[in-house]
Amino acid sequence: MATILIFEDDPHQSRLMRRLLEHSGHQVTVAHNGEDGLRMAMASVPDVILLDMGLPDMDGQTIAGLIKGSSLLGHIPLIAVTAWPEDFAGQMAQAYGCDGYLSKPISARTFATQIEAFLEASPPDDPSTRRAEGTDRP
Amino acid sequence: MTHTAHTSLPHPEEAKYVPPCTLVPASHYTVAELTEAYNQTRVDYIVPMPMNVARLQAYIDHYDVDLTRSVVALDGEQMLGLAMLGVRPGRTWITRLGVLPNRRGRGTGEAMMRYLLQQSRDLGAHHVILEVIKNNVPAHRLFRKLGFHETRELLILRRPPGMPQGEVPPYEALHQDEEASLALLRQRRSVPSWLDDYPSLRNAGGLACIQVELQDGGRGWLVYQVTVFQLARLVLQTERGDATQVTRALLHALHTRYPALDTKTENLPADDPHLQGMLDMGYVEVFRRIEMHLSLCP
Repeated sequence: MATILIFEDDPHQSRLMRRLLEHSGHQVTVAHNGEDGLRMAMASVPDVILLDMGLPDMDGQTIAGLIKGSSLLGHIPLIAVTAWPEDFAGQMAQAYGCDGYLSKPISARTFATQIEAFLEASPPDDPSTRRAEGTDRP
Repeated sequence: MTHTAHTSLPHPEEAKYVPPCTLVPASHYTVAELTEAYNQTRVDYIVPMPMNVARLQAYIDHYDVDLTRSVVALDGEQMLGLAMLGVRPGRTWITRLGVLPNRRGRGTGEAMMRYLLQQSRDLGAHHVILEVIKNNVPAHRLFRKLGFHETRELLILRRPPGMPQGEVPPYEALHQDEEASLALLRQRRSVPSWLDDYPSLRNAGGLACIQVELQDGGRGWLVYQVTVFQLARLVLQTERGDATQVTRALLHALHTRYPALDTKTENLPADDPHLQGMLDMGYVEVFRRIEMHLSLCP
């Protein structure tokens, strides 16, 4: 069981992600904007963060940079969730230190499996194993 | 059926045109309503740039958008789309044009464009400017149909946080405040886009500047905006020497001062002499816009 923080402003998307991950036994919290998400991340220090790169109050890239630059949050696996074209998504995710990326729309069939594969490859509190299995690597 | 009262005779083409929807001034709606509508029209865009209310209000304020001259397209009470008009002496700027995904292809975009062009004539504007994301073929086609022509490509660049890397020529730097920044901008030689024109930067605020002098005599300056989370709105000018070397020095000074901040800058011309230096210092192209102009002079 992992604690997962999702940054996602679309209520349908966030409900779907939460339902899929909670069904697999994980504890999920959702932030609908960047500012709230950063506060929640600092307060809870989750096992993994899923970051929608198109939030309405802050650029996803800016949020990724803040998370990866934080001494408290920088070790947390960060997965960008984006509708960007494949090659661009990989480039931006890598440039901003994301540990993987997922393309929108997410697959209800495989989403939880993809996140769990990533968690297995990067267990909590083990910053040395930063491989994104099951998600697309930047 | 349009609801505006023309204050000048409509262009002959406009007199024959019958829009397929109702058009009302955007000022009939709150910024919150316009924000919701704007986000709905962009939900399927390749580069989604959603906004919240605060961001859209800031956009309106920074870029001199006149909501009384901007337009919302309706089918009954339902918003189909919106488009905004920036207004400055002698010129206007069409921006944030969007139509709901399931209502496109029915002439709504053209109707809003024609409305804004008539507004521009009413204001006595000499020309109208807009930018279209490169490879947005339907929008580009529409703008050409209405007489716009391409002037240049503009780049949107980003740089992740981090200390600057790479070789930098020896330099001395002077960091100064907003007042000095505005003075430098008044000496700017490059042709700005609407987003980085003097009024936009002055309205946005939070400006600071750096001037560098290189050992080899090269000299230049950089004006930028600094906020809590981000550096933005970079304007560079080389006064003497090699632009790439001057750029490296300027950006080394900037990112040494703010290593933890993400950087985003918009509408750098694709042929700008500072581009190579920016790429050398870790800037990445995110996407491109094509700037287009339409002259309203007879």
